[in-house]
Amino acid sequence: MDTELATVKTKSNTFRFNKAKKKKCLSFLMFLTPAFLFYALFMLIPLIGAVYYSFTNWNAASQVTRFVGLSNYIEAFTNDPYFKESMLLTIKYTSIVVIVQNVLALLIALLIEYRNRTRNLFRTVFFMPNMVSLIISAFMWSFIFTIVLPQLSEYGLSLLDQGWLGNPDVAFYSIIIVAIWRGTGYMMIIYIAALQGVPVHLKEAAIIDGASSFQNFIHVTIPMIMHAITICVFLTLNEAFKVFDVVYGLTGGGPGRSTQVVALNIFEEAFSGNFRYGYANAKSMILFVIILIITIVQVYVMRGKEVES
Amino acid sequence: MKKNRLSSIFNMVILIAFGAISLFPIYMVVINSFKSQDQIFNSVLQLPTTLHFTNYTEAFSQINIAQALWNSLTVTGIGIAGIVLFGSMAGYKLARTPGKLSQIIFLFFMSSMLIPFHSIMITLTRMANMIGIQGSTVGLGLIYIGLGVSMSIFLTTGFVKTIPKELEEAAKIDGANEMQTFIKVILPLLSPILVTIGILNLLWIWNDFLLPLLMLTNVNDYTIILSVNTLFGEYNNDWPKILASLVITTIPLITAYVFLQKYILDGIAEGAVKG
Repeated sequence: MDTELATVKTKSNTFRFNKAKKKKCLSFLMFLTPAFLFYALFMLIPLIGAVYYSFTNWNAASQVTRFVGLSNYIEAFTNDPYFKESMLLTIKYTSIVVIVQNVLALLIALLIEYRNRTRNLFRTVFFMPNMVSLIISAFMWSFIFTIVLPQLSEYGLSLLDQGWLGNPDVAFYSIIIVAIWRGTGYMMIIYIAALQGVPVHLKEAAIIDGASSFQNFIHVTIPMIMHAITICVFLTLNEAFKVFDVVYGLTGGGPGRSTQVVALNIFEEAFSGNFRYGYANAKSMILFVIILIITIVQVYVMRGKEVES
Repeated sequence: MKKNRLSSIFNMVILIAFGAISLFPIYMVVINSFKSQDQIFNSVLQLPTTLHFTNYTEAFSQINIAQALWNSLTVTGIGIAGIVLFGSMAGYKLARTPGKLSQIIFLFFMSSMLIPFHSIMITLTRMANMIGIQGSTVGLGLIYIGLGVSMSIFLTTGFVKTIPKELEEAAKIDGANEMQTFIKVILPLLSPILVTIGILNLLWIWNDFLLPLLMLTNVNDYTIILSVNTLFGEYNNDWPKILASLVITTIPLITAYVFLQKYILDGIAEGAVKG
């Protein structure tokens, strides 16, 4: 109908139609330009620049920036043991954090689901650490690790007497503890929302059919909240790969380089060690591509397992 | 029924244990921020016998807290205002203009959401330097608009599709122009999703560390998070003052959380489900 009317109008008055089209175009521009402008300036152009400079020797020391082809990438893959180590460490960190954080968040969400009067109280308490900035969390935990836990160990809890930040083997797990303390509440909120969306009649039907509560969980609840699991794994995966603040605040990558994650490695390359911007950009591109591939595979695989209610 | 009762108690015990772990570090920091160094080394668990407010006054004098709070407010305020307004304008228009072009522009904005900040941080710093906004809190707020607007577009586009068109058409017939219609009719209808967007960005921008670290060069322009970072480095084991400054930094958001928790928690669930 509308299109017919429009064509009639066009035939009778082409001038007016053009004017309307022009007006529509103008309003389109008016609504989109501000967002586009900021996006272009602070996201798009820096990104294009980063890709470009990753093929150059741009650094703080020399005046001339030369195009060096793939040599930055080749160096990162073959001749930078610190980068390789930091990448492996980040992968190890990510695997642990993603699994522990999601299992714990889902467990707490399930436990909270069973409460009636105290549900809101617990939700509030578990989310509280999220209000504390990551870097501030790291500082708070520095106090816990260096003063509080060693003091508590004197009460017969000798397990707490560790070189939490000073021992290279332990420091890695200290970082994980802080990341999980800070991040679990966020995922828990998402899981609680998903659990509330599971239809009660499905659970009841399963119970009537003789399913145990564990079977109920595996065969009814999990499939029904699969979309939330996909989202939470996606979020934690992304966050963990880019981990920076907690490590920076807690250990600064040390002792030595034992806890230097890849984001810190890139940061140091660019801003505190060598000031090799071009090379740091190449490394950041490698990080980008790795995150991209892993998250795409993750979402693709997990989406396939989701069911409609 | 007895078994049910037992499992309920068991459930409660586990929740309380986890809850205690959740709050323990914050509790430790707060009570020890009122003690002297000696008292801390004597017993961290004991409640302070006398309240050492000097920790706070000294932390206050060391960093200009009022200035730092104002800087944080400036950055966060500008960032959120731009993200909410420009994002909802673009999101609304894209949702109301069917066609290939809109789809392409939408995807174009979305494609940035996977880019790690570390991939653009070096060239972003250079860009800020070139256009002369490095070192300015206002400039930093503007940068956040560019980084956060995609998510805002994403959330509003989805929301606008659930609003019937009739209202806008009625406003048009009444003689309102498009901008007026958007501000007076559309924005109020969008308010639930705008609150969500505002909260998600508040948590991000207020607490962000790396971008301010790269952008702000003068101590007078430091956000509260950056000031505490400097303090932490300078004080080096002077725990009473460090703890006092940690408490001061955390208070604004915890206060906001106490009053807005329903919106914050719902907003996060909402933002994630849409994402």
